[in-house]
Amino acid sequence: MSDNREGKSVLTLKNVTKRFSGLVAVNDLSLDMKERTIHALIGPNGAGKSTAINMITGLLPLTEGEIYHEGTKISGMSAHQIAQTRCSRTFQNLKLYRSMTVKENLMMGSMMDMKQGFFPFMFNFGAAAREEKLIQEKADSILEFIGLKDLADEYPANMPYGKQKLTELARSLMSDPKLLFLDEPAAGLNPSERVEFVNIMLKVFDSGIDIFLIEHNMDVIMNISDYITVISFGAKIAEGTPEEIQQDPVVIKAYLGDRYKQNMARGAAHA
Amino acid sequence: MKKNKSAMIIALAAIALAAVLPMFITNNYHLNLMIQVLINIIIVVGLNFITGLTGQMNLGTAGIFSMGAYTSSLLATKLGLNPWICLVAAVGMGCLIGMGLGYPSLRVSGVYLALTTIGFSEIVRILMTNLTGLTGGALGVTGIPTFSIFGFKFQSNKEIYYLYLVIAVLLIFNAYRIVNSKWGRSFLAVKDNPDAVEAGGVNIANIKIMAFTLAAIYATIAGSLYSHYVGFINPSAYNLEFSINYVVMLVIGGIGSVPGNVLGAILVTLVPEFLRFMENYYWLVFSIITLLFVIFLPNGIVSLFRVKKTAEKAVKGGQANV
Repeated sequence: MSDNREGKSVLTLKNVTKRFSGLVAVNDLSLDMKERTIHALIGPNGAGKSTAINMITGLLPLTEGEIYHEGTKISGMSAHQIAQTRCSRTFQNLKLYRSMTVKENLMMGSMMDMKQGFFPFMFNFGAAAREEKLIQEKADSILEFIGLKDLADEYPANMPYGKQKLTELARSLMSDPKLLFLDEPAAGLNPSERVEFVNIMLKVFDSGIDIFLIEHNMDVIMNISDYITVISFGAKIAEGTPEEIQQDPVVIKAYLGDRYKQNMARGAAHA
Repeated sequence: MKKNKSAMIIALAAIALAAVLPMFITNNYHLNLMIQVLINIIIVVGLNFITGLTGQMNLGTAGIFSMGAYTSSLLATKLGLNPWICLVAAVGMGCLIGMGLGYPSLRVSGVYLALTTIGFSEIVRILMTNLTGLTGGALGVTGIPTFSIFGFKFQSNKEIYYLYLVIAVLLIFNAYRIVNSKWGRSFLAVKDNPDAVEAGGVNIANIKIMAFTLAAIYATIAGSLYSHYVGFINPSAYNLEFSINYVVMLVIGGIGSVPGNVLGAILVTLVPEFLRFMENYYWLVFSIITLLFVIFLPNGIVSLFRVKKTAEKAVKGGQANV
């Protein structure tokens, strides 16, 4: 499968490997994500997808290999430094701040851009209040954008799972990311929530943020991604556009299954 | 806005009450208790940063407090420095301790961190008992001068009470601002979900060390104020029980809330005094009260007010639906 895509690379993985003592979770993974694309990473359970995203965002150290974000080497940096290169992320199992309201969760997402130091804060009340107000307004506008305005003062635990996922997405937008990592954004959502989430995801993409996502739901993947990397047992087995991936015999065998092919054929027949 | 206004009214009323109260109190022992309350409030408000908000168990309050007290009193008695300069030195000592204690909290947490802080506290106590040449050993330091401003010496309990009330109010106000700002949010966020804080581009190491440092500074200030009030200190009181007492105040008042901290410090300091008529049993009764609080009001006394609020909201919401 030849890679004849054009455009600037925003994310490049070069021969990335992760070993947990004996177990190889990710094996010699290389991939290249282009600017202005939605790039998906798919594969069966335990293929190493989350491990890959955790390595990219700095939560796990790499065993071997290198990772670049827009030409900057980010492998070896700590998680907060990587986030400061404007990489933001959501988590597979939500990691919200449960003792804070939705709006406060969002405001925490902007903490790294609130530059006033502690001593200026103690004495310059005016500047502190202005900074706080600015972030409040930003949180309001993002809540509006995501459609969570009514729930601004709610605590995450009191909201349905779909809304919690949106809150996490909104929080990740507060840091003005250029590249957004979504770890299974549609998992656990019911069909209508899923449609809502996909629409918002597309809106986010249209606002100029590139998206790298892990997902299991094939409807979501095949409909919205521009390019797909498939891994199995930690190694890359295929790469290409959604159409190419759907036809790929290796992918069908390892992941999609024969049933998927039959369904596709049936769908084609109906059409 | 509305919430801020009512909070301010309550705060001003509390300050007014605290300012008027000594005029009706003639008993010196009662005034002494009130000064003790102020000092305890400062410690608990500080402990709230690290144990209440950031969720890092600190059982080293005794060590930190006594380091503040000894720094201040030794500089005053051995070098004859002005107590105010000694207080500033105690703040500096607080910074050092905060960073020193904050560092292990980056590596260990939970029970291990609690043990680390206890270890620190015990080392301080043992050093103070045994470095006889410097600290006076078990006899401690005596003849510590009180504060003075422009030649006016704060000497009677009433004078000292008013001075310390001003200092306490400033420190409480400062703490309230911190808790309700991006810093307070960051402390809470570290307790709730450190991974998410890192993924948000914030170095949790800085946040934890900052919380520890703030707690330490508040405790050393309290230590300094205490030593300049009482006039003598010795190491025997600064044991684990001393530290745990402040955690009890924090829990009873309300973890994370500054008004809760203040309430907790007042109650836990004063209630045992009211129970003294029970003689030998008063400590038992007090322990049982504490236990009941932990079980039935795990979020402290302030949660009583919060519950009422949400209930009101629910009633209003219900009416709106009808």
